[in-house]
Amino acid sequence: MDTEARKNALHYFFDKVVGPLGFKFTPDAELRDFLLEQEVKLEAKHGIPFCPCQPIRNDRARDMKIVCPCIPYHREYFDALKRCWCGLFVHEDVTDPDSLPQLPPKEVGLE
Amino acid sequence: MSDNFIRAISVGEIAPGGMKAVELDGREVVICNCDGNFYAIQRRCGHMNAPLEMGTLDGTCVTCGMHCAQFDVTTGQALSGPVPEDIGNETLPPRVAAMLQNVGMQMQHVRTESVHTYKAKVEGGWVHVAP
Repeated sequence: MDTEARKNALHYFFDKVVGPLGFKFTPDAELRDFLLEQEVKLEAKHGIPFCPCQPIRNDRARDMKIVCPCIPYHREYFDALKRCWCGLFVHEDVTDPDSLPQLPPKEVGLE
Repeated sequence: MSDNFIRAISVGEIAPGGMKAVELDGREVVICNCDGNFYAIQRRCGHMNAPLEMGTLDGTCVTCGMHCAQFDVTTGQALSGPVPEDIGNETLPPRVAAMLQNVGMQMQHVRTESVHTYKAKVEGGWVHVAP
């Protein structure tokens, strides 16, 4: 499987999903490219494009919540951060993703 | 036609986003309408030979209906292998479980190959496919 072709395909399909959720791909092209490449590798290994920054625990119910784009499963948290936890997606109004703080859930009042 | 393209179907036979299987000189071909641009690919999936027109077409990406392997219809390039199935925690009868285990073991060795593409062009309201 060609990694670049698969990255483009994931980009095409994810874009359709995250747009209606109020998110977009990060404008940081290097980060976007790197994260998509990791997802292609995870998909090649597991058959599923899991989030590259979350551990796979072999608990299907839990693992399905980290299949990219996992925004619907962690909406409240990502809305508070204005980004998903790996930073592949940011709120559609974000232009400078580096300015967004990465905070644990309890610091945004979710635990 | 001077370049030996074969007249396959009329343009109106496939709505945008649709696919149709045809047989042309003994070849099984699927013609895809990608928002008005027509492409022709081999009918058989590069994973396990399922008929691709029974899958879905999104943009220029076709997803096989059998195991969800994906291909780019413009190049034929394989974009992903099959999606693993989940039977949850269901307990299967021993014979069925043994059969599935055997099938699963063999499927691990099945490679997803790219599919063949054919040149296609529209002329006079018809889609023509290269021999």
